Amino acid sequence: MKTTKAEAGRIEVPAHGYAPLPGVADEMIDADGAVRPVWRHFLAALGRMDQTELAGRFARADRYLRDAGVFYRSYGKEADVDRAWPLSHIPVLIDEAEWTGVSRGLVQRAELLEAVVADIYGRNELVANGLLPPALVGENAEFLRPLVGVKPAGGHFLHFVSFEIGRGPDGNWWVLSDRTQAPSGAGFALENRVATARAFSDVYAETHAHRLAGFFGAFRDTLQASRQSPEERIAVLTPGLANETYFEHAYIARYLGFMLLEGEDLTVVGGKVMVRTVAGLKPIGVLWRRLDASFADPLELDQNSHIGTPGLVEALRAGSVSIVNALGAGIVETRAMLAFLPNICRQVLGEEQIMPSVATWWCGQETERAHVAAHIGRMVIGPAYSTRPFFDDEGRSVLGSTLRETARDSIMEWLASDGAHLVGQEAVTLSTTPAWVGGRLVPRPMSLRVFAARTRDGWQIMPGGFARIGAGDDVAAIAMQRGGSAADVWIVSPRPVERSTLLPADRNFTRTMPGSLPSRAADNLFWLGRYIERAEGALRILRAWHGRYAEYADPGQPLLKDVTRYLDALDIDTAEPVPTSLIRNIDSAVFSASAIRDRFSPDGWLALNDLSKTARRFHTSIEPGDDATRAMTVLLRKLAGFAGLVHENMYRFTGWRFLSIGRYLERGLHMTRLLGHLSGEDAPDGALDMLLEIGDSVMTHRRRYAVATARLTVTDLLALDPLNPRSVLYQLNEIKNEVEQLPNAFVNGQMSPFYREAMRLHAGLAVMTPEGMSDRIYGRFETELERLSDILGQTYLG
Amino acid sequence: MLYDVNLTIGYRYDTPVSGGRHMVRVLPLSIPGRQRLVAGALSVDPAPGERADRTDFFDNPMSSILFRSPHDRLDIRMQARVHVETPEPAADFSPPVSGLAEDIAGYWSLDAGAPHHYTGASPRLPACPEISDYARAIVTPDMTIRAAATAICARIHADFTYDTKATSVDTTPREAFRLKRGVCQDFSHVMIVALRSLGIPAGYVSGFLRTIPPPGKERLEGADAMHAWVRFWCGRVNGWMELDPTNDMPSGSDHIVVAHGRDYADVAPVIGVLKGYGQHKTTQAVDVIPVRQTA
Repeated sequence: MKTTKAEAGRIEVPAHGYAPLPGVADEMIDADGAVRPVWRHFLAALGRMDQTELAGRFARADRYLRDAGVFYRSYGKEADVDRAWPLSHIPVLIDEAEWTGVSRGLVQRAELLEAVVADIYGRNELVANGLLPPALVGENAEFLRPLVGVKPAGGHFLHFVSFEIGRGPDGNWWVLSDRTQAPSGAGFALENRVATARAFSDVYAETHAHRLAGFFGAFRDTLQASRQSPEERIAVLTPGLANETYFEHAYIARYLGFMLLEGEDLTVVGGKVMVRTVAGLKPIGVLWRRLDASFADPLELDQNSHIGTPGLVEALRAGSVSIVNALGAGIVETRAMLAFLPNICRQVLGEEQIMPSVATWWCGQETERAHVAAHIGRMVIGPAYSTRPFFDDEGRSVLGSTLRETARDSIMEWLASDGAHLVGQEAVTLSTTPAWVGGRLVPRPMSLRVFAARTRDGWQIMPGGFARIGAGDDVAAIAMQRGGSAADVWIVSPRPVERSTLLPADRNFTRTMPGSLPSRAADNLFWLGRYIERAEGALRILRAWHGRYAEYADPGQPLLKDVTRYLDALDIDTAEPVPTSLIRNIDSAVFSASAIRDRFSPDGWLALNDLSKTARRFHTSIEPGDDATRAMTVLLRKLAGFAGLVHENMYRFTGWRFLSIGRYLERGLHMTRLLGHLSGEDAPDGALDMLLEIGDSVMTHRRRYAVATARLTVTDLLALDPLNPRSVLYQLNEIKNEVEQLPNAFVNGQMSPFYREAMRLHAGLAVMTPEGMSDRIYGRFETELERLSDILGQTYLG
Repeated sequence: MLYDVNLTIGYRYDTPVSGGRHMVRVLPLSIPGRQRLVAGALSVDPAPGERADRTDFFDNPMSSILFRSPHDRLDIRMQARVHVETPEPAADFSPPVSGLAEDIAGYWSLDAGAPHHYTGASPRLPACPEISDYARAIVTPDMTIRAAATAICARIHADFTYDTKATSVDTTPREAFRLKRGVCQDFSHVMIVALRSLGIPAGYVSGFLRTIPPPGKERLEGADAMHAWVRFWCGRVNGWMELDPTNDMPSGSDHIVVAHGRDYADVAPVIGVLKGYGQHKTTQAVDVIPVRQTA
């Protein structure tokens, strides 16, 4: 049946009462009020779903994001918090033909930006020929002088860039800002896709939306090919877990199979960037940096940086490492540069810009300043050196039309006195796209972040992206820190699309082993193991203490007094039912774990956080005695939950060994110390029973020996029994087994110092008898265990 | 004047450091018409694992050194013979303060001597409204650049007390300005911020100053120290000129230039990143010895 355009609109739109705003372009409804063809199938499908079904679908997407651990960091007044990812569940649909035009414009722009960066750090002809005012470079904090004259390995400055684009009222696309420093969002785009496809799995399967994997695969292959030798590793360089997009760094590294490193992991030797691993220094061929360039080298760039690598600039000068993107490339993000790009494009590329930037005037020039002043009502006035789009620069830009007459005068004065630091930009109205708010579709302003990667076949544009959706009608509310949300972008083809995946295409399956473990990660795993075990040890002692306290109701009772003294030496205060030092200890475990979050299943991470939250809640709410005993049991169960998840799910390789050695070592120390204190001849009454309880060996003892405890049987079971997983000997045996399989366990056919020490310690205890154990002997083993930890640090973690 | 300059910078570490990387800028510059490095050498003890000598963006000679093995001390020694020209008193042809912007905008280059590097904020010198107000009260728009800079230099010298205890190497210009105390680094930083606030491009000069012993006293060996002063741009025709706010004088044949930069961060004699824990002590000894020339 033939339907007219108007009919198509009339039938489909009212389904959800969607009405675009007057004078504003809309992604779903065209200028004539009809639904754009690319949306029809999606909208029709949406129309068949009722509120309950939709709620279920959205919940599916949210659950995926929560389970995958997708978060972003919000900088608050009191504390920075991880926030749930704000997904706007309705994707933005764009027609493939239109996207081809967008891509063409952005490829040209990537080429143009490359030419500008190469010139600024190279021949400097743009300035010499009057195409770029020298002040915009000379006063620019992103002009990194130590990089001037440094030619990037491989010849290119830019490899991965993004653009913020928006659609104006006339339907055409504009570039709002460029990201060349360390663009974020590509990983979030992937996660948005997975989540949105979960919500609309049926519709997605029927829609010919371009897949994203091919784009990432092409970039990964290009980076791999750009290494100077196959031994070289590729790494994502992150500023660390305090960064707002750390999740994404970890995600991209995992998705593409790259190492995730921090500046501290790297060292520069002989002009070559190396990663410190537990198997020694290994060469790095490509660094995909996610930290701002000025922090990258405290020696030659920002001297206050604590997250950089001294000597990195020297390595770049030597051309021994590729960096994505070149240090200093951030200079072309400068807002005032937009004013000069059209002319530079004409002069350097010999063409007009295919996709224009939002019209921009640098007020450091008299004519331009006068123009901005004369048209102040349609201008946004903002900082010339800002690198963010006007709607996302923390309110540092002023919308001319919102000014009262009196305020306008002061703006004029501002322009006259500080013009060189200001730009005027045409106040653009962004298009709207449907968002699901309060049970219906409503139009919300939108901008798109689009990604471009340099591949062996030239620049490729990701067929999709990351749509930022405003929280209200106000364009300024697009910023996520101000309540904006993110949506998936479907580039829809009329034909079936290629379903690429990142799995290797060759049929012969090869099993790859994980690469070398960075020393810092090993250090964090080792200490995570120690902190977790230390928390468990403290919890077990405290539970036993409070159990007896409930019985005697007298902290002066000899055994309680004795154990209180013991705990005191460990900085555990029994006056607090859930001691502060225990909370600190769990926090340390969380901190170590968060630094290596990419190595954990999200479930493990959630379990650890749950433990931390519960302990904090108990800290203020628990009474001594029975209440505390119950609380310790809950915490022990949660801790066992975490340990179990790690035990069940963690890949048995080097990282696992460091975690395990940390646990065995701490457990061995805990038990050695406790035996030294509580198994002596002069220990108070009930000490042996308490020992068995803390060592979780009451049942075993009863089965193997008798109901009554004796010094020798308890010593045998908790110190020397190789089959009791709580005994000291068991820990030493396990350490020995793990050490055997560490890298460099043998050096030139000889045992490494660490291996030798572990063997010696194990043998020393294995030959002991219960009668021979004394607090002096326990003291000696305690010292030796501490020493073993130090040797491990020197051998693998330095 | 011909000088022999000896400099020793020593570090003593409480606990040995396992490695470290340093950048050293202590060798005097050659500047046509100003000074000439006749001969110079930099030695480092213990011997570094790697060493590379080159010039930085501002054309200062620098050495980058790397240690890979543990060491508990480090001595950097520089010896140089430098010929410094005696400047001839020149008439002031610099443009008025109000007319400089045009000259700056017309300088279409970013070479090391370009004024554009010296107009805005730099790593150690953000703009400071208090110092701007101070500068504006001293200068009138009709003054020439040179007259304005000379007036500010004299005023800082008069208002500030030289005090080696009041500030440290990390003191900000704002702190030093509020204290009205400090050493050559503080005097120079405040003066640079003041000049930039008036639109005059200004930079930091590190170097050596020959000290004349008090009458009747002998020159003490090693008693000299590294010094710092200011240079500023007087427009296309006049170029760069130097003033020493610590001594309220134009630089003369007693000022030996080691490095040019935007502020101390660009020219610090030694920048280092160490691998290790614990404290260290630093010592510095400088001798600037005039060499008698036999004709």
